[in-house]
Amino acid sequence: MNQEYGVFTLFLFNIVVYNIPLLYGTVGEMITEKSGSLNLGVEGTMAVGAIFGYLAGNYANSMLVGLLVSFVTAGMCGLLFAFLTVSLQANQNVTGLTLTTFGLGLYFFVGKGLGADWPAMQGAQSLTGGFAARPIPVLSSIPVLGKALFSHSLLVYLGIAIAVLSWWYLKHTKAGLRLRAVGENPGAADSVGVNILQYKYIHLVLGSGIMGLGGFYMALNMGGSFEGSNCWINGYGWISIALVIFANWNPVYAIFGTMVFGFFNVLQVRASSLAYAFPELLGWMSSIPPQLYKALPFLITAIVLIVSSVNKRGSSGAPAGLGLNYFREER
Amino acid sequence: MNQNHGPLFRVVKRENTRWYHLAVSYASAIAAALLIGALLLSVQGVPAGAFFRDMFSLGVIGSKFAYKNVEGFIRLFIPLLITSVALSLAFRMRFWNVGGEGQFIIGALCAGFVAFRLDALLTSLAGESWGDAVWGKLLMVVCMALAGFFGGGLYGVIAAVLKVKYGTNETLLTLMLNYIALYLILFFGETKASWNFFLSTESERPIFATFPAVAKMITLPTPFGRFSLNLSLIVAVLICAGIFVYLKYTKQGYEIAVVGDSPSTAMYAGMKVGRIVIRTVFLSAALIGLAGAFYASSAGTLSTSITNDVGWTGVTVAWLSKLNTAAIFVSSLFLTVLQYGSQVASTSYPTVDANFAKLLQGVILFAVLAADFFTRFKLVGRTKAKRQEVLG
Repeated sequence: MNQEYGVFTLFLFNIVVYNIPLLYGTVGEMITEKSGSLNLGVEGTMAVGAIFGYLAGNYANSMLVGLLVSFVTAGMCGLLFAFLTVSLQANQNVTGLTLTTFGLGLYFFVGKGLGADWPAMQGAQSLTGGFAARPIPVLSSIPVLGKALFSHSLLVYLGIAIAVLSWWYLKHTKAGLRLRAVGENPGAADSVGVNILQYKYIHLVLGSGIMGLGGFYMALNMGGSFEGSNCWINGYGWISIALVIFANWNPVYAIFGTMVFGFFNVLQVRASSLAYAFPELLGWMSSIPPQLYKALPFLITAIVLIVSSVNKRGSSGAPAGLGLNYFREER
Repeated sequence: MNQNHGPLFRVVKRENTRWYHLAVSYASAIAAALLIGALLLSVQGVPAGAFFRDMFSLGVIGSKFAYKNVEGFIRLFIPLLITSVALSLAFRMRFWNVGGEGQFIIGALCAGFVAFRLDALLTSLAGESWGDAVWGKLLMVVCMALAGFFGGGLYGVIAAVLKVKYGTNETLLTLMLNYIALYLILFFGETKASWNFFLSTESERPIFATFPAVAKMITLPTPFGRFSLNLSLIVAVLICAGIFVYLKYTKQGYEIAVVGDSPSTAMYAGMKVGRIVIRTVFLSAALIGLAGAFYASSAGTLSTSITNDVGWTGVTVAWLSKLNTAAIFVSSLFLTVLQYGSQVASTSYPTVDANFAKLLQGVILFAVLAADFFTRFKLVGRTKAKRQEVLG
């Protein structure tokens, strides 16, 4: 495969394959945050969606069941978050962090508990087949880019479709407009008759469900093998939270942002082979510590966060009511 | 909207919280968590009773090396206690410092820097034997603690200054700083180079070097056999008491309370809100850095997983305790029992992961967060509300 694709094509290809879960996580968190809730439980939610989606999909030997179960179980995490923070007015930061702790605990408990009974992905034809690449007819024959961008599994296309659809929903539908109003100023939205409770619940569950799909993708991308020490999600949930800021709360920018963050992710793995392939042009890359590449998404996001707060020009997509609970009687 | 038919009940804030509401909510939260835990364990075919017995006894019963278990327990307890108390300081002002992980790491790194460099410096000045003197060890440990304190504090104060000056979201910024610190320690831990004094020179693979003996935390002999007391436990308890007094009886503590209650009130009362926030967050982050330094010194080495998630667990503890310093002492003790206990118990039950404690911890906090609602609010039925309206 290496020779056929060439280093550059393989590089682009990997950016997409390894980082689509970031897109799912980010779009899910964007929908969540647009309703005014900061859910720091992305990592845990993705882990829950990943393990239950994978197990269900494997036992049922069905891709569809896997997708559905990952969406529903992760959505239940969102429901729990909504119940605690919206109905019971619990603090969002604490609830989110607890969701992560709980989700990871559950992930390891279930995985380790199965032990030798852990089902291998090879046993489920539907999962291996469903995750195989489906080249898009005409586009995939474009030289270099065709193989890199248009020859992926259905889940990659689904992720991009969800991102575009979310953008359209937020920007061009009445419900999307109302949702944004809820996130900006719930008191004002309430006064014109928007059902705050309903909007928050629906979108918190929806957002978490989408995160869960990203977890399911990661499970399949890891070949479904459970390791006792490392979670599949491996920090992608946290990067997603960073990416929401980087992409300025816009799902279409999130596609672009995923590619940028993915670029650094892959660079960290591929730097030495790139330096080896183009010693004169890229030889310097092997001397950069790989940890820097890993830290870059967080470093860039920190800078974006600071710069956007220094020049407040109203161009930020951050909802004004982000992280604040809405209590009607204190409106 | 139909004005005549309001909702079936509405939510009203309680004026005062009764202590038995709290007691009942905590007891039921813990009971719920243990029940769910027991259920999950029995699904896996693990005897829940025996597992919990091993867990809550910390494996001390019938063990020849019980003192080792107690020492290990204390080593986990100290960082959690200090971090939780420190976080509660920032939380009191509604400053969401979720950067405990990063501040802990930076504290540990700074302490490690001092351990290696100060030792090298003094060895070149006073010869190999400098560390054997009593003043040597004390000097070293104090210097490490100071380095951790200021390192962590300065790292944490970045977010405070930006928040005060530009309104930068501190939750998200401290979150990002966690990962920057994590990759920094990974960089030192994984880069083999002649300048990198953090790594062991003997090993081919990159491994953190052990600290010189003089940089190991001071331990005090006790009457209980081979058990020796870690000095930093005493310091941690003193810090805990100090913060209690600081918050309750000093002017600065009063300022924190006012700013936390209402920043505008504080402003009108002539308090410099920005300065108070920056000062308090510095103290919060510095104490976490100090905890990092203590832990590194007690362990005698750095590690890429040095935090043991203390920055996250600390948030749980602080919140479980409603930011009350005395309650933090109890909750962090309890959560350490869960953590250390499940580690110990999981060694005899290989199908149970050591992360079982996280699951329990999550359920407990969920239950407390839910029960909290009923201590802060009450539900008023439609008819009763109407009657009150008529009477009012």
